Amino acid sequence: MRKNFVATAVVAAFLTSPLVAQATEAELLARIEKLSAELEAVKAELKAGAQKTAAVEQRQQQIEAPAAAAASAPATVIGGYGEINYNRPTRNPAGAQTDVRRAVIGIEHRFDERTKLVSEFEWEHAIASAGDQGEAAIEQLYVERQFGNGMRGKAGLFLIPAGLLNTSHEPTAFYGVERNFVETAIIPSTWREAGVGLSGDFGEGFTWDTGLTTGFDLSKWDAASEEGRESPLGSIHQEGQLAKSRHLSVHGALNWRGVPGLLLGGSVFTGKAGHDTAGFAAPDARISVWDLHGRYTPGLWDLSAVYARGRIANIAALNASFGDEPAPVPSSFAGWYLQAAYQSFKSGDIALNPFVRYEQFNTASSFTNQATPDADHKVGTVGANLRIGEGVVLKADYQKFRGDSARDRLNLGVGFSY
Amino acid sequence: MNVLRYLPVLAAASAAPAFAVQYLSVEQAQKLMFPDATAFREQNLALSSSQMREVEKLSGLPARSVAWRVFGAYRGDTAIGFVVLDDVIGKFELISYAVGLNTDASIRQVEILAYRESHGGEIRNPAWRRQFVGKRAPAGLSIGEGIANISGATLSCTHLTDGVRRIAAIGQLLVKK
Repeated sequence: MRKNFVATAVVAAFLTSPLVAQATEAELLARIEKLSAELEAVKAELKAGAQKTAAVEQRQQQIEAPAAAAASAPATVIGGYGEINYNRPTRNPAGAQTDVRRAVIGIEHRFDERTKLVSEFEWEHAIASAGDQGEAAIEQLYVERQFGNGMRGKAGLFLIPAGLLNTSHEPTAFYGVERNFVETAIIPSTWREAGVGLSGDFGEGFTWDTGLTTGFDLSKWDAASEEGRESPLGSIHQEGQLAKSRHLSVHGALNWRGVPGLLLGGSVFTGKAGHDTAGFAAPDARISVWDLHGRYTPGLWDLSAVYARGRIANIAALNASFGDEPAPVPSSFAGWYLQAAYQSFKSGDIALNPFVRYEQFNTASSFTNQATPDADHKVGTVGANLRIGEGVVLKADYQKFRGDSARDRLNLGVGFSY
Repeated sequence: MNVLRYLPVLAAASAAPAFAVQYLSVEQAQKLMFPDATAFREQNLALSSSQMREVEKLSGLPARSVAWRVFGAYRGDTAIGFVVLDDVIGKFELISYAVGLNTDASIRQVEILAYRESHGGEIRNPAWRRQFVGKRAPAGLSIGEGIANISGATLSCTHLTDGVRRIAAIGQLLVKK
């Protein structure tokens, strides 16, 4: 465009010049030399302009380059979390114990902008070998794909979106040294199943999750052991290990975060748990778990509540087959808690958050047969999390077990997450 | 000639893969924040070391970067605000966002351009982002102190809030110029 303009200007200069015939040769030569010099000057100016434009473009590209690189990198990220706990029963100091409760390494890899792999590898109780009590487990292992409409699909071993703690179980994310009882005894955190899931949002703060996964294996129930009494579902979960899959389970969760600081939600999970196991007395057994949860964080307060309930149906014949064994399968189990925490002190990257929690739960609140339901467990916890930055937490609390003071205990812990 | 200046930006935008997590392009965010602007001019900022110290003092955070991508929003020849682009890490992945600033360095709007985490997409909720509107650094621009936490997305909302506070501090330098 600019070159054309210059050419036109040069031609115009010739045309508007006095008649050539009337000018002397010397004058003409002088004029041509003058014009030629002017043309050179314009050329130089154009060249300088072009160089300047190139420089500006280059600079812009340089500025954009880090942003573009930042948007696609990093492809592989390593994370992790862990907790080391000390429990001291106040009435029985001889029972004091220290445990590397868990150490987890997480690796997330992004194949492309839409597709990624999420994995978490866990060791519990420090040493896993034939002669030790520890265990090594895959906690999560799934691929996730983002669809064009904002929905996400995943396939693999993933966490069931139940309660508040299950999907957010790092020690820096919860109050108290130990995870609360409701979300370990009723909702068997860290609860994961293998299958497929789909998540999305409805707008207005609503998000949803649904999926088709493996479920529980009731044929694992050991009526001679107390394990089922501690956590009915924790004793029969399959955790993706050669999981019986004759029957699959479905789940759904709906959460609302329409008001800043507020979360209200619920979830449901249901599926058959007999898997046509040969000789098993409860082929039609069905396990269902649902929960309602809420969390409100106005200012420096952090208030939360969870109610969870589970049901195991079609088990009369199974329980009858156990005879006098001490731990038949319960028909229902339930629990709830209320928790309040407050950030009472903050200086630099140190923050102190005292909290109180009251929980009531029953892992055998009803039976199909004559077995008498258990009494509710009532536990009060008071303590504090001392946060150091956002990755490290020191914890201390005292737990009072109403009606079972032999279990009262003092807990200390250190946890981290990165 | 002005069009030429935007060519690299347009080229980069059209060459980028249309990834699903991209909710808004830079141009869309600009128009959302300043619907009455007639032009956006790239006015990238290079902070001097004393300016970086000023940002750190005001935001209570490391200034992190010397170079900042800034667009001036104009109605005719009148400057009506700025759009600052940035990325912060959520938990594992980057959150790309834009902050619209008024000419008094108060926050006009926060828009999420791209979010890549599996959890915590709730930072896109308009109700949550509205908490930033009208504030100047640093007052009321911290989680728990003016900005409510998002349960289940603590890291994403904390890092984004820190990022916005930093940009709000940079905004005060922009309006001083």
